[in-house]
Amino acid sequence: MVQIFSTFEHSTNLELAIMMLEKNGIKKENIFAVPLTNRKTERKLFDTIHNADGVSLISTGATLGTAFAVIGASVGFKLAWGPIYCGLIGAAGGFILGVCIDVFYYKVFKKKQRLLRGKNTEVILVIECDEAQADTVEDILWHHYAFGTARII
Amino acid sequence: MDNYRNVENKFRRYKAHISIAGTTQFHLRNPYAIAWWSAAFPGFGHLLLSKYLRGLSLFIWEVIVNCNAKINLAMVHSFCGNFDEAKKVLDPRWMLMYIPVYLFAIWDSYRTSVDMNKVFLLAENEDAPFNSFSIGAMEINYLDKRKPAMSVIWSLFMPGLGQLHIHRVVTSFFALAWTIAFLYFSKVLLAVHYLFLGQLAESTAVLDKQWLLFMPSMWGFAVYDSYVNTVENNKLFNIEQKDFLIKHYQNPSFQVKKGKVII
Repeated sequence: MVQIFSTFEHSTNLELAIMMLEKNGIKKENIFAVPLTNRKTERKLFDTIHNADGVSLISTGATLGTAFAVIGASVGFKLAWGPIYCGLIGAAGGFILGVCIDVFYYKVFKKKQRLLRGKNTEVILVIECDEAQADTVEDILWHHYAFGTARII
Repeated sequence: MDNYRNVENKFRRYKAHISIAGTTQFHLRNPYAIAWWSAAFPGFGHLLLSKYLRGLSLFIWEVIVNCNAKINLAMVHSFCGNFDEAKKVLDPRWMLMYIPVYLFAIWDSYRTSVDMNKVFLLAENEDAPFNSFSIGAMEINYLDKRKPAMSVIWSLFMPGLGQLHIHRVVTSFFALAWTIAFLYFSKVLLAVHYLFLGQLAESTAVLDKQWLLFMPSMWGFAVYDSYVNTVENNKLFNIEQKDFLIKHYQNPSFQVKKGKVII
């Protein structure tokens, strides 16, 4: 028997990989999944599909963007550039100002540790199988976007 | 068909529910952010909290009373410094009824988000099972991971599409429907058309001030709501999958080998 170690992020692909393994004769008790708690790092500006720290820096930007767009569109009726340009400038200006306030607040004021950038290993998957099956298992893991695999005897 | 049916009802609090109409979940919110969205447009704060009925009631109320009292028009005149104009356009028969409901929306959404944050902490600790998959004759909804940036982009193109992206059907339908009214009556797109032709004076003249002022809030809210909920839905997916893996793929008899790595 060999064991194959692999790492994944949380996704539907991970469950598809497990399903394929079971279809290829790997027993459920021979699959061992270890969900990880991820390392924290500095706060990120925007959340991605791989990674979200929850308190993202879009709140103040969206708030000020909306407020400034209202004022910009109103005052725009008097200004040379008209309400639509002034509204858009207000929205963009407010958003940038809001993001700057948040960046300053979180990165300079409150240096808290947040989730790591980019893709994180979130799950370690260990599969025990016959040596003859090892290649098939590794193929399935790679096919479903494993970050890395290792074979141990 | 759901993958979990709450028959025994033995838990006190549930943190999420996936249904045909959308993904509803408790998560931590900044009460001030919620209060701000209520101030921008009564109802938005409640919609962010997934309290659709009162959110939509307040929203419709705002449109009716604001349009009759001419609050938006008076705002434009005030921002421009034409205070006499502002006084002239306001209708006192409607204006005074605006104030209590406006303040209620802000106060109530703030209070509710403070409360719901507490409920979230309790529900998270209790960790009750919840429905995470739903299929019916009209729709399908399930937990999944989506790109927050795509929600923002689609919301910018048309408020409501970002919500459609993450299956918030109620908010989506409402945002799409009302955006039609706001865009049509404000003549924003006509003004944009004139801008493309380089006719700036015509562009300004064609705009309806009263209706125009609904749009910035509509856009801002659509972006914020779809972004925040995409992120929270993704987090819920991770938590649910983690629980599933621990429950089904951690056999106590499994022993990790201490042999050699084959390269």
